[in-house]
Amino acid sequence: MTAAQAERPGEVLERVEAELRALWSTPPAPGELPRARACTMNLVVVAATPGAGRARVDEWVPVVDEVLLGLPARAIVVGIEPGGEPALEAGTTAVCTPQEGGGLVCSERITLFARGDVCARLHSCVAALCTSDVPTVLVWLGPVHADEPAFGAIARDASRIVLDSRRGPVDGLTSLVYWSRARSELDRPGIGDLAWTCLAPWQEMCARMFDEPGLRALAAHVTRLTLRQASGAGVPLGAEGALLMAWLATRLGWRLPAPRDAASPAQVEVVLVADPAAVASPGALLAVRLEGGANGVAFRGEIVREPGHVDAATWRLEVTRDGGEPRRLEQHVRLRADETAGLLERTLHRPTHDPALADAAAWADELEGEELACGLEGDNVATVRRLVREGTPTP
Amino acid sequence: MAEPLPPNPLRRGLVEDRSSDACAVVIFGASGDLTRRKLMPALYNLAWARSLPGGFAVVGVARRDKTDDSFRAEMKEAVAAFSRRKPLDAAVWADFERGIRYVRGQASEATTYDTLRAHLERIDAERGTRGNRLFYLAVPPAEFGPIVQGLRAAGLVAPAVDEKTGGAWTRVVFEKPFGHDLESARALNDAVASAFAESQVFRIDHYLGKETVQNLLVFRFANSLFEPIWGREHVDHVQITVAEDIGVEGRGRFYEQTGVTRDIVENHAMQLLCLTAMEPPVSLAADAVRDEKVKVLRSLRPMERSEVARHVVRGQYGPGVVRAEKVPGYREEPDVSPGSRVETFVAMKCLVDNWRWSGVPFYVRAGKRLARRVTEIAVCFREIPHALFHTQDGGITANTLAVRIQPDEGIALRFISKEPGQQTILRDVAMDFRYGAAFGSNTPEAYERLLLDAMRGEATLFTRHDEVEAQWAYVDRVLGAWAADGNPPPPTYAAGSWGPEQADDLLARDGRRWRKP
Repeated sequence: MTAAQAERPGEVLERVEAELRALWSTPPAPGELPRARACTMNLVVVAATPGAGRARVDEWVPVVDEVLLGLPARAIVVGIEPGGEPALEAGTTAVCTPQEGGGLVCSERITLFARGDVCARLHSCVAALCTSDVPTVLVWLGPVHADEPAFGAIARDASRIVLDSRRGPVDGLTSLVYWSRARSELDRPGIGDLAWTCLAPWQEMCARMFDEPGLRALAAHVTRLTLRQASGAGVPLGAEGALLMAWLATRLGWRLPAPRDAASPAQVEVVLVADPAAVASPGALLAVRLEGGANGVAFRGEIVREPGHVDAATWRLEVTRDGGEPRRLEQHVRLRADETAGLLERTLHRPTHDPALADAAAWADELEGEELACGLEGDNVATVRRLVREGTPTP
Repeated sequence: MAEPLPPNPLRRGLVEDRSSDACAVVIFGASGDLTRRKLMPALYNLAWARSLPGGFAVVGVARRDKTDDSFRAEMKEAVAAFSRRKPLDAAVWADFERGIRYVRGQASEATTYDTLRAHLERIDAERGTRGNRLFYLAVPPAEFGPIVQGLRAAGLVAPAVDEKTGGAWTRVVFEKPFGHDLESARALNDAVASAFAESQVFRIDHYLGKETVQNLLVFRFANSLFEPIWGREHVDHVQITVAEDIGVEGRGRFYEQTGVTRDIVENHAMQLLCLTAMEPPVSLAADAVRDEKVKVLRSLRPMERSEVARHVVRGQYGPGVVRAEKVPGYREEPDVSPGSRVETFVAMKCLVDNWRWSGVPFYVRAGKRLARRVTEIAVCFREIPHALFHTQDGGITANTLAVRIQPDEGIALRFISKEPGQQTILRDVAMDFRYGAAFGSNTPEAYERLLLDAMRGEATLFTRHDEVEAQWAYVDRVLGAWAADGNPPPPTYAAGSWGPEQADDLLARDGRRWRKP
């Protein structure tokens, strides 16, 4: 279709609406299962990565379809490419799954691709296509600039905004948390992040180290945290590692040291290790170790992703009392596979508001853009960052 | 007094924290059907969902001679067949089966408990289960007492107070039926109380673990729309139906001792009635919810013997057709006496004598070999006071709110609507919410929720001792009246029908009729 023949955005939307109506007004053909439409939310996925809008839409359509099988919704997957001739392309389809007792439960998926100045008006396209009376979740794939019109206008209508920080730094998440906090409480969207959801099993396993009543008080006496990630030396700590460190810090009362803290005995050493040979996604967390002790009890707890397994790990705890023989516990645990559809579905099932995520993102911001690069272990080149314990953590 | 243990700071605000303390689950009756079909698949599904704690073990106890390995192999087969998650995930199973052990023993032998204790101590060291034990009694009620005493004598019951100060905990789960009548339920409660504090006791009614049953509380108390009309001013009557299309399925011997009143009405139907009729609890704490349910049970108007014949209808299924198959009558089932007088159907009119429900009958029916399998609570609202619209077919149907517990879990509100067109033609239509459509069909099974709750010490979905006794006290009057009348043979109904005609008469006398759900 040439530019002269291209449909106007309004015509495109009319066509999409007509196609959606046709999905449900056409009776099933003989032999076809009856279909029921279900919708629990508007799931708006915006691929705003500069220069890669279409590729990310292609990447995310199967992810969204998989999510829709368990979470019926009206999905609107949008690619934006601000350059080029203004145009809006669209397509619709039903994504169906068999229901117990026969029949199909179906969601609707709309794909939009906006170019040129249509991108600036994208909000009105999305608003026109959203189903009323159900919450809207925005999955924003790309840099977050809270003052950018394309983001702000769509985000303001969302009851929840989800990012995917796995591939990048956490500053987008931090900006989003501050943007959200600036809104009135009644109007404040929930925040989610796939990198944060990835951390859930790691958090649970860290917590497990202090479940035993006799070890609980030791949580306030961690002296060293070691994080190992899949990356080359010198690569900054990824979002998973940064958020885990920030989460531990907010839970255990750690802060960045002030000059007066130089001689404080309550130091926590954070050691960042790179593993260039690991078979895992770049930046993925490979191991966490917590060490410390007090009153004659020393402990070392670690979680190590098993080499070659994306979802298997070993959890170990070693406790030594008064220099005696250490007591060791070891458990094989399964991390959740980090495939995107599963992560998004789990994120959507989490409570809308997660104060721990907001706290962790705000703490990470205190590093003020400090790039914590990971070093190689064994050659004394692993990066060490010192923090200070603030005393007894808040229960 | 010892200081309560401070909370683990890393558990604060942990969103996906639905796992429990490290513990060992000990299943008495490990060779039984319940273990194979429900308990092990539920535990495996919890493992799949990463809801089990890191330090975890399952110990099966039963009479038969088995090794750990043969027990694991049996359980693997059972989980593969009965888990809702298919196919079996090899990695999940490999992790899960590392914690499975087997102990051979009889409930009545002291050596069983000594062996069990030694196993559990070893498991504590190997698996990090920290002395926490959940004993699950999937055995006939006659074995409850001996097992409780055996556990106590072997020192396997930690005092309840230990848990509050961070020590090991012990909990015990009892499968239904909890007693055969009020007297036996009281005796059982006393026996249990001699070894366990009430906070350690979890009497299971698996209906309470069903999502829709839990949703009933949410529906009533998280929406402002329905609670104001939930009472005598707007509700005409309530119908509770627990219908099965299957027969006794090889459990003839058991059924001859129980009947549908003991098997279903005393527990499941009474619980559904309580959740429908209860007042808002002050919180969702276990005792707050159970206090309100007990108040409902105590408000049930006791039936005098002379009233039972008028307010309660029994039935027994004869031969008939169910799902296009010819099926035998109850008396032709294996292990059933040819002259059996056991009821396979019961319908009763219950009255709740309190401010909210005064004069609103709760009609309860339960039965086997009925037209279809359905469990529902239908709240039938009063008719409109004045017929503004003239209808051609005899009147406007009153609104009904039906909460479907199974199958097709959901909530449907029936109301009157105008058919499109020039004429004012009214139609009864439904706003229909279905769990499967809205949230996907892979909802946890009741036993998954209940097992995890018991491991976490959350007792809201379990029945308390006074609740069980109040349920029996109500049902005992009905059973006593039948016995006093010489237990006459119940009227027969054709398998595949909705019960005997007398059940229809029960409502017809009040100018009402049963729903055909």
